[in-house]
Amino acid sequence: MADLRPATTNGSANVDKSKNAGEIVPTGADRTASAATGRICARRTAEAARACGRVRYVAARNAFTRLMAPLFTLYLFATSLVASAIGGALGMAGGILVVPILTASGIPMRTAVAASLVSVIACSCASAAPLLRRRLTNIRLAIVLELATTLGALTGVFVAGLLPASFLSLLFAAILLLSARQMLARRLAPIGGSPAASRGLAKALALDASYPEPETGTEVAYVVHRIPLAMGLMYAAGLVSALLGIGSGVLKIPAMDSALRLPLKVSSATSNFMIGVTAAASAGAYFARGEIVPGIAGPVALGSVVGALLGARLLIAVSSERVRGGFVVVLVLLATQMALQAFGLGIAGAGGVR
Amino acid sequence: MSPLRAFERRVAVALEWGTWAACAAILTGLVWPAGHLLVTAGIALFIALPVLRVAGMVVEFVRIRDLRMGAVAALVLAILALAIVLNLQTNRGGG
Repeated sequence: MADLRPATTNGSANVDKSKNAGEIVPTGADRTASAATGRICARRTAEAARACGRVRYVAARNAFTRLMAPLFTLYLFATSLVASAIGGALGMAGGILVVPILTASGIPMRTAVAASLVSVIACSCASAAPLLRRRLTNIRLAIVLELATTLGALTGVFVAGLLPASFLSLLFAAILLLSARQMLARRLAPIGGSPAASRGLAKALALDASYPEPETGTEVAYVVHRIPLAMGLMYAAGLVSALLGIGSGVLKIPAMDSALRLPLKVSSATSNFMIGVTAAASAGAYFARGEIVPGIAGPVALGSVVGALLGARLLIAVSSERVRGGFVVVLVLLATQMALQAFGLGIAGAGGVR
Repeated sequence: MSPLRAFERRVAVALEWGTWAACAAILTGLVWPAGHLLVTAGIALFIALPVLRVAGMVVEFVRIRDLRMGAVAALVLAILALAIVLNLQTNRGGG
């Protein structure tokens, strides 16, 4: 707080009033003042930056409740729609784009994570029905793996309160880079899934199944491998999902492909089905704590559902290498932005006060 | 073939209707000036949908006498309940 003072020397009474805006909630009249403070302290130390986050959050909330409300809502709706459509078109969840966009708009990390979790559930529910009807989802396997993902999410919700926002931003940057790498490396169909004898848990719970190949209509039987290993990876996926508000596809895909060795279509459908329950565990916790801001989570969820439905249509149209390359660049840029945010810097977008 | 086929179709229908209802509530709440609570209700419905789906699976597995899977589903439901109940307490305690 002391760091703020030199920057506001001889300042107007307005600036003085909002000097300790971190502790008090400024009224609408102070909005511009806190905006000014926000801009100044963006360039300050990490401590000041944290206070700045609070000021910006208050500014965002005031902006929502006052005359800016419709514009801000529209902005949230439109950006989540675009993020979700792009993500959907490339066969990955849009949640990974939503959080960086929200934090760059001045919304604090926890609020962004909570809002994103709701949109992750919304997208999972919206796209589950057609996959269920085409019999691509293995719901028996899903509920077994959900045991691990929900436990991970439960852990994540409690750990999230102990970790500083800067650590979460850094973790997010790492996950974004991991996603970029996964985008570059083609997903290979798992080998050797011959319907041989299944053992252990998969047999005890009768998890092996078959699915109708969409193109040919022939029934393909498959065996589920290495459940314990997959459960470990799924626990990590649930943990990261609760911490960062994403579906954690980056961590689920390796678990599904290399541990369980599922056919690609089955693993995509089952993963999507599971994401809803995983995110519901953490979103339910955030909801019970009163940390979900309806004015932010509402438009984001709505935009994401519309975007996901559009993205599924676009899937065939934009699967070229060039689009993938462009997306990798976007992911790397967002990773840089999140890393800068972790150190309280942030490029233009992060300084933008709302 | 699978006894779960009919159940899967019912889940698909329920999730579809639930998604539309939640979206409609949120949209109405955002457009209507006094509809703030509707947005919250829509969000709550979205969070409830997967939980209800797990509850449905508990009932279905018990109905088809697949008790092992029924126990797994019940455990998932218990974890979901725990996530909400534990945090309600911290909310009240922390003020």
